[in-house]
Amino acid sequence: MMPLWVGPVARYMATGLVTTLALAVVSIAVSVVLGTLLGALLVLPSRAVRLAVRCYVEIWRGLPIIVTLFFIFFVLPVIGLRFDTFVAAAIGLCLWGSANVAEVVRGAVQSVPRGQADAAAALGFPWRQRMRYVVFPQAVRRAVPPLVGLVVNLTQQTSLATVIGVLDLLQASQRSIERLTLSSGATHAVPILGAVLVVYFVICLPLTSLSRRLERSLQRA
Amino acid sequence: MTAVDFEPGFVFSHLGPLGQGLARTLAISAVGTAGALAVGGLLGAASALRIPVVRQVIGAYVEVFRNTPLLVQIFFLYFALPEAGVKLSAFTVGWLSLVLWGGAYNAENFRAGFEAVDPKYVEACRALGFSELASFRRVVLPLGTRTALPSVTNTLISVFKNSSFMIAIGYPELTDTAVDIVSVTFRAFEVFIAIGVVYLGLVWIFSLGAGLIERRFAIPGGH
Repeated sequence: MMPLWVGPVARYMATGLVTTLALAVVSIAVSVVLGTLLGALLVLPSRAVRLAVRCYVEIWRGLPIIVTLFFIFFVLPVIGLRFDTFVAAAIGLCLWGSANVAEVVRGAVQSVPRGQADAAAALGFPWRQRMRYVVFPQAVRRAVPPLVGLVVNLTQQTSLATVIGVLDLLQASQRSIERLTLSSGATHAVPILGAVLVVYFVICLPLTSLSRRLERSLQRA
Repeated sequence: MTAVDFEPGFVFSHLGPLGQGLARTLAISAVGTAGALAVGGLLGAASALRIPVVRQVIGAYVEVFRNTPLLVQIFFLYFALPEAGVKLSAFTVGWLSLVLWGGAYNAENFRAGFEAVDPKYVEACRALGFSELASFRRVVLPLGTRTALPSVTNTLISVFKNSSFMIAIGYPELTDTAVDIVSVTFRAFEVFIAIGVVYLGLVWIFSLGAGLIERRFAIPGGH
């Protein structure tokens, strides 16, 4: 027989989980699209473009995400923009995520041996076709394992939204613990926070092992 | 729209508390880094040596800590453990969570480095009469550590950045101090730009240092 508090707490935490998943999906989608674009700009021949993108990447990759989140949370209202916490958290995660994706994409493109592009050039392919038919398809295969790793990382980082007040899985668990403490004096923090750990583990473990498998099959190829 | 008034001088009137915050950030990062290095090296070696049972236990530890968010681990240590009779201070949770988290990532980094050493070297050692432990210590350890170095230093820099997570348990490190000042004075621009510069500056210095160490210890003639 389950204790009476379990049902309501589980339902409340489920709504938190939905917010967590929504935040993860939005951040991952925007980060991958924006990051791929920025990563492509990083391998362009233009120096000025590379420098500008490099600044973006170094700043948002170098700052702790919490600092970025608080910066957005406090600064946006100051410059007259009203955001709810979910949007503020999504923006912060996208800045960090896109900077990291850009770095992965650049690394993948540059890890394709130079001889490949040279050979294509010798065959008369112009730059765009060399990229499209020779370099890009090979770079994608190299980028996928670290990108899956990054997806796991971003999913875990969504928990930081808690600190600016987003009602995600962690925040829901925290509020449940506080409520139970007030109503019954018992906190039940071990089973509740334990459940949060289990939920994240169940989401992340398959992705982590997928990333590892992809990595291995790439090494064998 | 009213002009945003920006007063960089404002930060200087709060240098005292911000300095103390930075000192606490550096303190838990230093313990976290040293611990993550020690735990990671030891556990990585134990996994690479394929000691039965020990290897599986280490594997479980690594998977649990790598597949759950650090923030939830911090919450568990700080809010749930007291229920089980273990009460830790915010400072202890601060460095301990960084050691456990960084140790799990480094165990994997070191294991991968050690296992990347060509088995032919170990076979050669064994043929020359080295014991298994001696061949690990003399050949696999020095070569594998150098292969693992880039990912290990990456993890250590993350340990430093993640010390900011301790704001969630109210440990007054740099980020927590900054947010405290902002919530009283509403000087968000000045304060966050100041601590942003400090974090970025330190991260870049650490990356430069890591690059120097990597080049210094690069395997001669290696890829």
